[in-house]
Amino acid sequence: MIRLQNIEKVYRTDTIETLALNSVSLDIAKGEFLSIMGPSGCGKSTLLNIMGLLDAPSKGEIRIDDQKTGGMNDKQLAQFRNKKLGFIFQSYHLINDLQVLDNVELPLLYRDTTAKQRRELAAEALAKVGLANRLKHFPTQLSGGQRQRVAIARAIVGKPEIILADEPTGNLDSAMGNEIMEILLNLNRNDGTTIVMVTHDENMAHKTHRLVRLFDGAQVQ
Amino acid sequence: MFKHLFKLIWNKKKQNFLLITEMLVSFLVLFAVFTLLMFYYNNYKKPMGFKYQDVWVINYDNSYQTKNVDSLNLYYETLRKTIKSLPHVKDITFVSGNIPFSSRTNQSGLTFKGKHVEHLNNFTVEDYYEKVMNVTLLEGRWFNKEDVVSKNKHIVIDSDLKEATFGNEPAVGKLLGNYDDKEKYKIVGVIQTIKRNGDYLDPGPGMYFRTDTGSFRWLDKILVKVDDGADAAFEGKLYKTMANNMKNANVEIEHLSNKLTNANYFALVPMIILAIVSTFLVINVALGLFGVLWYNINRRRSEIGLRRAIGATGKSVSAQLVSESMILATLALIVGTFFAVQFPILNVFDLPAIVYIEGMLVSILFVYLLVLICSLYPGKQAAAIYPAVALHEE
Repeated sequence: MIRLQNIEKVYRTDTIETLALNSVSLDIAKGEFLSIMGPSGCGKSTLLNIMGLLDAPSKGEIRIDDQKTGGMNDKQLAQFRNKKLGFIFQSYHLINDLQVLDNVELPLLYRDTTAKQRRELAAEALAKVGLANRLKHFPTQLSGGQRQRVAIARAIVGKPEIILADEPTGNLDSAMGNEIMEILLNLNRNDGTTIVMVTHDENMAHKTHRLVRLFDGAQVQ
Repeated sequence: MFKHLFKLIWNKKKQNFLLITEMLVSFLVLFAVFTLLMFYYNNYKKPMGFKYQDVWVINYDNSYQTKNVDSLNLYYETLRKTIKSLPHVKDITFVSGNIPFSSRTNQSGLTFKGKHVEHLNNFTVEDYYEKVMNVTLLEGRWFNKEDVVSKNKHIVIDSDLKEATFGNEPAVGKLLGNYDDKEKYKIVGVIQTIKRNGDYLDPGPGMYFRTDTGSFRWLDKILVKVDDGADAAFEGKLYKTMANNMKNANVEIEHLSNKLTNANYFALVPMIILAIVSTFLVINVALGLFGVLWYNINRRRSEIGLRRAIGATGKSVSAQLVSESMILATLALIVGTFFAVQFPILNVFDLPAIVYIEGMLVSILFVYLLVLICSLYPGKQAAAIYPAVALHEE
């Protein structure tokens, strides 16, 4: 589903050159739940950003669903992200000025859908994460766990094949973290969604199919 | 998408209130400026109604006093012949003091179909006035000797008065009552309205009465049509001629072209002051808008990063921010237009409705243009935000 070949990422300033990823190659199968672990600054998020086409590698090739992504322009990348990928972030990134339902609808705004379709799909996604009764709430009226569930609903509303989660339980206590993990596992099990999750939590990582460890930008496991 | 943006704006109404107020105030000030500009422009477009370029004005205080009308007329007719005999003089005419581009006015009213028409300029003129001023005759004729004796006093009206009373119908031969409707005036001609207040101000409707035998008692101006050779030396000669003929009288010679320049200057000064004030205001508003939009982008980096991640292109992010500003401007303009339309409805300042409407339309366009310009660069900056960076800043 996702193939990374010899990915390198170098950050350059006027005086310093930092190698964030060093020749990382990875094959992620369709329906796999993979976790990425490593110490802070080892390149986990950079790798996730590159998989999510939010950042371009300095070297190497990325294929998603057998499609080369290297030559895509801004519009093609945006469409690709919109249709194939769902994102979950540690700090949720919900828009506080929009109600829960409107937040979940957001990815569908960049598709050719009617308002009615968007409403229905968003309500369905929220029901899936157990927030059917919170549609008209604002994010600030929800707990951290509920906010992350809204973020998951937003990630799945467009029925993407891949979900990229960057420390989705990082801001939550263990009980809420487990709830979120359970939702992700269900999505993987029931819908066959491919999930790549960056985490610091060994327990969470061991619940996934495969664990990849990074150290100083290189894959060590 | 529009509904989504509107919802976003509505949910942030407290933050947007000040910005909308700023746009509203700018619109109202611009409306005042552009309405005045349109008023000036509409007047400027109208024809002058006469040729002022080679017309000089001799101002004199009425020195020759006699109860005998024949002597009076003889005195002034002799003066006319003397001046007319001078080289470079094409024609001359005695007129009442309210000549074009002077600050003097003489107003009265009329009755038409039982209704009073007020604030009408009255001019007392001779038969020669038409030739000296080269007025544009639109209908009928100018005064002549036939007008000396008539059942109803003959008058010539200008096109503004004709439009106000008869609209598009012919006016010649029709009667108008004086203010009390006790005396009737018969219209013998219609001339193009003379822009007596200069290029930019509304002259208002006017009517012309023919001088009678006693008019010389109070007429105090002579209009002289000169040829191209009339220079300063000739002006001195003309002055001497007047001084010799009117002992102890104060005589002053002016050129209508200079009087027009002065009249225009006095009309433009308030406009220029208002334009300077509004320019500073617009610059202030532009900088304010620019600053607020820029600040908004920095505050919304996470949202922008998120939108890029879930499928927005750089262009659509930029378009979203510009559209949000335009929606805010639209809200401000809806409120502003509500206030602005009261002016033509309530006929404030007695200006034609079209002037207010033109002022409103130009102000709306200007505000939109201002908001567009001020939001384009911040929008471009937003499009350049790197989503991977923005999403990891919190």
